[in-house]
Amino acid sequence: MASSATVGDLVSQPYKYGFVTDIETEKIAKGLDEDVVRLISAKKMEPAFLLDFRLRSFRQWLQMEEPDWASLGHPPIDYQEMIYYAAPKQQEKKASLDEVDPKLLETFEKLGIPLSEQKRLSNVAVDAVFDSVSIATTYREKLAEHGVIFCSISEAVKDHADLIETYLGTVVPGNDNYFAALNSAVFSDGSFVFIPKGVACPMELSTYFRINSGDTGQFERTLIVAEEGASVSYLEGCTAPMFDTNQLHAAVVELVALDDASIKYSTVQNWYAGDENGKGGIYNFVTKRGQCRGDRSHISWTQVETGSAITWKYPSCVLQGADSVGEFYSVALTNHRQQADTGTKMIHVGPRTRSTIVSKGISAGHSSNSYRGLVQLGPKAVGARNYSQCDSMLIGDQAAANTYPYIRSQQPDASIEHEASTCRISADQLFYLQSRGIAFEEAVSMMVSGFCRDVFNQLPMEFAAEADKLLALKLEGSVG
Amino acid sequence: MVAASLSTPTAAAGAGPGGWIAALLATASGGADALAASRQRAAQALAQIPLPSRRDEAWRFTDLAPLTALNPTLLTPAPAAQPEVAAGSLRLHLDGRSDPLAGISLPAGVEPISGAELSETLGQVLAATGSADLWPVLLNGATARSVLALRVRGAVPTSLELVSDAGGGEGILSLRLLLLLEPGASVEVLQVHRSSGANLTSVVLEARLREGAVLRHGLLAPGDGAACLLATVAVEQATGSRYSGVSAHGGWALGRLEPRLVQREGAAHSALKALQLADGRQISDTHSQMVFAGPGGRLEQLHKAVADGHGRSVFNGAVQVPRLAQRTDAAQLSRNLLLSDRARIDTKPELEIVADDVRCAHGATVSRLQQDELFYLQSRGIAADQAARLLLRGFCEEVLQELPAAAAAWQPLVSLLGEEGR
Amino acid sequence: MIRPDAPVLLEIHDLQARVEDQPILKGVSLTVRAGEIHAVMGRNGSGKSTLSKVLAGHPAYTVTGGTVHYLGEDLLSLEPELRARAGLFLGFQYPVEIPGVSNLEFLRVATNARRAGKGEEELDTFAFEDLVRERLQVVQMDPAFLERSVNEGFSGGEKKRNEILQMALLDPLVAVLDETDSGLDIDALRIVAGGVNHLAGPDNATLLITHYQRLLDVITPDYVHVMAAGRILRTGGKELALELEERGYDWVDAELAALERTPAEVL
Repeated sequence: MASSATVGDLVSQPYKYGFVTDIETEKIAKGLDEDVVRLISAKKMEPAFLLDFRLRSFRQWLQMEEPDWASLGHPPIDYQEMIYYAAPKQQEKKASLDEVDPKLLETFEKLGIPLSEQKRLSNVAVDAVFDSVSIATTYREKLAEHGVIFCSISEAVKDHADLIETYLGTVVPGNDNYFAALNSAVFSDGSFVFIPKGVACPMELSTYFRINSGDTGQFERTLIVAEEGASVSYLEGCTAPMFDTNQLHAAVVELVALDDASIKYSTVQNWYAGDENGKGGIYNFVTKRGQCRGDRSHISWTQVETGSAITWKYPSCVLQGADSVGEFYSVALTNHRQQADTGTKMIHVGPRTRSTIVSKGISAGHSSNSYRGLVQLGPKAVGARNYSQCDSMLIGDQAAANTYPYIRSQQPDASIEHEASTCRISADQLFYLQSRGIAFEEAVSMMVSGFCRDVFNQLPMEFAAEADKLLALKLEGSVG
Repeated sequence: MVAASLSTPTAAAGAGPGGWIAALLATASGGADALAASRQRAAQALAQIPLPSRRDEAWRFTDLAPLTALNPTLLTPAPAAQPEVAAGSLRLHLDGRSDPLAGISLPAGVEPISGAELSETLGQVLAATGSADLWPVLLNGATARSVLALRVRGAVPTSLELVSDAGGGEGILSLRLLLLLEPGASVEVLQVHRSSGANLTSVVLEARLREGAVLRHGLLAPGDGAACLLATVAVEQATGSRYSGVSAHGGWALGRLEPRLVQREGAAHSALKALQLADGRQISDTHSQMVFAGPGGRLEQLHKAVADGHGRSVFNGAVQVPRLAQRTDAAQLSRNLLLSDRARIDTKPELEIVADDVRCAHGATVSRLQQDELFYLQSRGIAADQAARLLLRGFCEEVLQELPAAAAAWQPLVSLLGEEGR
Repeated sequence: MIRPDAPVLLEIHDLQARVEDQPILKGVSLTVRAGEIHAVMGRNGSGKSTLSKVLAGHPAYTVTGGTVHYLGEDLLSLEPELRARAGLFLGFQYPVEIPGVSNLEFLRVATNARRAGKGEEELDTFAFEDLVRERLQVVQMDPAFLERSVNEGFSGGEKKRNEILQMALLDPLVAVLDETDSGLDIDALRIVAGGVNHLAGPDNATLLITHYQRLLDVITPDYVHVMAAGRILRTGGKELALELEERGYDWVDAELAALERTPAEVL
């Protein structure tokens, strides 16, 4: 019988990005105090306002407690046992890619992200972040012709300090939550995107995050600003080597959309998830929030979460502008001992704001997969509408699928609809497909990608195939 | 992140509310009745824990202020006028002190439970449903002085009405009920709890359904003014049993209902239909919990809420499907009407599943009255406000008409909606 | 069409099978040659649907004895998908709904799997669309069905037509059609039967599992087998089906009872 156990075997696929790049790294001593915060800021030669922001956040973090309300369990994290800054040893960011350490270029090539002029992805500009620093950004000149700024946040602090000062920390304040406060104190690098008024960004933008060091926390900070009428599609990808220990990844992403602006943010997250016994893997505690500040602005989150030992992540939209639109499309696949507590918050502030949530959770092995979402309609959200759909697919009888939708409304002239369902891959469905000549693996993969289709359809063209491949990879394997 | 909105800082429980419990326990202590020992245990437990605050997930949206504003003393209400008893129904009056069975002849198949069996059985269903440590249950345990405990055998055609009216007096009326349905037994039970004064009606029902037993259970609770209600309904079901609970509460300054069901070995049928109303500054709350502890169980749950004025409606519907509960079929729907821009609705259907061969679905909607329905009625010449009343009544009737027939005498619609119910 | 010299496609010998702990097939033997149409009749519970599931390799059924040779090879050792690729087709009594998987994609993947089995090249998307549109006519199906999920929300008749469409695309050597007539109105029955007749040829064979005569009014069988209690009780020509229709199944019971009384060693 094609039992769920054999389906379970299918979703157990070795992680193929688990290699470590042997490169000399500059690290500061482990541990965290005010001096470390000052040191990071000094290393990056930051202006005073940023050091202030870091110190304020750090002091607030000291007063805060690690949240414990999610359906997650992990041993306590020792924040003093971690290194807060690691960078591959090379001089200043290179003017030309030819000067970048070939080992780094090779690393990204192995990850499928070629950076060199000849091989780079056409029509996708990539910012490659290795441990704490950005090592290369492609297509910068071409983007600059359109007035688009795409660079590492460290460079932006130097070259566009006014923009950073205007926007950084305005969507996710330094004291927003425990992990955001920690990030605000020690963030190392990340991407900055600025699309000026009226400009449709001519290509996809992408940041690829690579954790390499075993004992380093990764704290990137991403800020994307789309001015009036601007639009951009941005994708982040992430991988990490396999270590027996857990690495903390606590990123903050802030999006700002002014009148008629549109930001599409897609994530394909494939951090190392730990082994089948739950040893090792990334703790992914991420704060992502977009603010639809302007009227008719539009922010769309799409995430495909397949990695990490623990995922704690709620990409959210604050819908302030009238007629603004927020969207959240998510696929979260957990296997073995992985734990995911993920979802979104749609905060409807302005009138006629609209939001859509489509969440697909796939739980296999002994994993736990929770959808946690908040839909809140404030008193001024006249005519607001929300539609949420949360579906869970269970593979095997050891995995947990939880759904916790928080629905709050103070606005009678508005409507909220939430639906949730569960399904599994039934033996009958598999047999039907098999009896038409379709192999077991392919049958499972067809059904899983059918289950996820509504979300994959939202990914940018260039990456939809990638995501499909990634899931297929997790689903590929030998059948018993 | 979610944390920011999930944990609203609250004022530390000061001497005020803590003092309220202490004062209440002082007046409730002593006594040599059958419940004395368990009352003391509950009182000790209650004294140990702080009052529920908005920091507790289960009380996040439910402020206890209307409760702690009440006089912390025990209340024995005076007899109140009541509608005539419907044919085929037996009414038992609960005032927390006198014996509701005095001078009553119970129908065939129904007998009181007392003595050692009572003290042994009491609390078992609370434990089985994980309800023993709930704050409202402890509060009831620390204050209730009598218990109405009945055993049911066979099919009982008479429907039982268990009625309390806290009236206009001040203090706390604590009622404790126990129903044991033997294998194959079936009975209809209607609880009616009314009040119009600055008092709390605290009621805890334990019901155990043995194999194949059928309990049709209704709970109608119209409140008024400063009156508060804390009602817990704990139900333990054996295989093949059917529990159907229909409840309607509204009009309470704070009204909270906690149905807690467990299917011990699965393969039972549970149905919950509820209506709750919040107007003025009322808080109307339902926290339901369904646990499938075995395979093949079914749940059908419909929860309806209406919030008007400055009212606040809260619903939390937990459904737990552990690994051994394969082939569970659970459907839950939360439908909410928000009629005023000062009112609030908070709803959270919760699913926790660790079994792959299950069918579990939930849905939630929040909206005002459907514009196209209103328009349809208006296009037939019905004035807008009248059309709205008609639709509101229709919304409520879907639940109210499922109450046991004996409820009709209490005019559920009028008692809950007032004149609009006419 | 009976041709004694036609190659044997399917050879079932003393097949025994159970589901969970319940023995269902208790020794079925049957030989199917190219060009033949066989009808297997019997009451509910006689084991005829089990026979079709076992032939297709349904994981819920365990073979406990006997052999099945398909094109001279051991069929029972093959995974279900390999049986399909080799040209064995099961038309389901209750086709399964598969939400999210598009019918068109499903048909394309299945067709290409079968083509690979025949040593033919895969069809690209365009070539496949041409093929599927042509084959749709066999079952008079609206192309709109291609855009929907596999069988999801299809009526009973639509599901059965989708089965025959798959048969038309997969070009089987042996088609086992399990209660294909059940739940069909007269028009749908005619369309489905027309499809089966259209696809039947001298090189392939059809095994119709059915309860009623009415399918056999429109598809003429060469052989009729009557099953009861997991065995084939009697085999005859198309007139056996008419006899069944006339006399009902009661005589089967009588014959079965006689059989049960017979000591095993005599059989």
